[in-house]
Amino acid sequence: MFVRIEPSSSVPIYRQIIDQIRYQVATGVLQPGDRVPSVRALAGQLAVNQNTILKVFNELRNEKILRVERGSGTVVAQSGQSMTLAERKKTVATLLREGAIQAIQLDIPKEQAVDLLQMEYEIILSEKKRSQP
Amino acid sequence: MMSENAISIRDLCFSYGRKHVLDHVSLEVRQGSVFGFLGCNGAGKTTTIQLLLGLLKARSGQCLVGGHNPQTDPMTVRQTVGYMAEDQTMYGWMRVEQIIRWSSTLYPTWEADYVQDLIKQFDLPVKARVKTLSKGQNTRLALLLALAHKPAIVILDDPTLGLDPIARKAFLRHVITLLQAEGVTVFFSSHLLYEIEPVADTIAILDRGRIVKTGHTDQLRESIRRFIVTPKPASDLGKLEHVLDVTQQDGQCLVTCEVVTDQTRLAIRAMADREIQECALNLDEIFEAYVIGNHGREVAPC
Repeated sequence: MFVRIEPSSSVPIYRQIIDQIRYQVATGVLQPGDRVPSVRALAGQLAVNQNTILKVFNELRNEKILRVERGSGTVVAQSGQSMTLAERKKTVATLLREGAIQAIQLDIPKEQAVDLLQMEYEIILSEKKRSQP
Repeated sequence: MMSENAISIRDLCFSYGRKHVLDHVSLEVRQGSVFGFLGCNGAGKTTTIQLLLGLLKARSGQCLVGGHNPQTDPMTVRQTVGYMAEDQTMYGWMRVEQIIRWSSTLYPTWEADYVQDLIKQFDLPVKARVKTLSKGQNTRLALLLALAHKPAIVILDDPTLGLDPIARKAFLRHVITLLQAEGVTVFFSSHLLYEIEPVADTIAILDRGRIVKTGHTDQLRESIRRFIVTPKPASDLGKLEHVLDVTQQDGQCLVTCEVVTDQTRLAIRAMADREIQECALNLDEIFEAYVIGNHGREVAPC
């Protein structure tokens, strides 16, 4: 698993790592059942504090993107596994809220914001198609 | 009780003659944590560290390192702590293996097997003379000498000074894999926030002998925001709460706030004439805001 940290970014490191793992799962670069490195290994690889990585894994587990498998460590969960539709919607709504706030602050009309979401959706779906064998 | 923590500093003051170097510095370093001690050159970082090792005498205040007082019991502290000095100079005429053997006589808890392991991991040429080592090798040798007696607390004084980006990353990786993973407490001084942020649990910023900020690393970025405002006449942005800095230029103001709530935003909006922009800061900007921020003092109302 490859993760890159941008030190001069204004986004906190744990957030950068979460976003990249989430993106790799969404685009199918990481497939359900794929093993991810242990906290120690990833911390060593990135030269990042173990507690930061722990926080990343905890959050991704809460979102049911990762899951702990007895004996084989942490793996990528089935998409939406064991989450009800309402729970999945809630997770997405929280993220979209941030986007909506930004759009209003930057004066982007509602219709255009919806277009942007659709465009991003299409881009990721097409990348996902490409990464599938 | 002050000693649940690995390092505990209370009201430490120090001066060279009339020059105050440390002004009531207080810090707590939790056991097993990585503590980033940040400050510009001359802020007092090395002085603090030398006081922690009992190399200097404090004017007032107290400190405990691993439960021992370095001011009254410096030898015990130096035996229990691993220390890497800023730009550490070692006997250049010695060979690497000689300096390792010589150092081993100073510590009763020296672990020879661990040292052999580190020599391999650090890729050190044991037959080479110390003066012929590269900057990176020199740093790794100094780290080896600091770790060889398996200390529970390690104090690193600007250890990556002068290292290239690759050697620097490798050094930080050692801090994580050799120290944090083993539960060692690390006190790491640096003048670069972007270097310390990925590895530190907690950060303290020292400025001209005073601690201006201590906090959890993750939280450091999250609450601080900068606003670009065109203020109404006679509005006093310096009076906002938690202001770190106000800069005026061409009728606009840059306001940097340490903690931003919806109330802050409302207050700023009330003082603004036109639209306001809000942005997050990168690490250099955060460091700068704490160190050279005017805290809204001496800023004339617009």
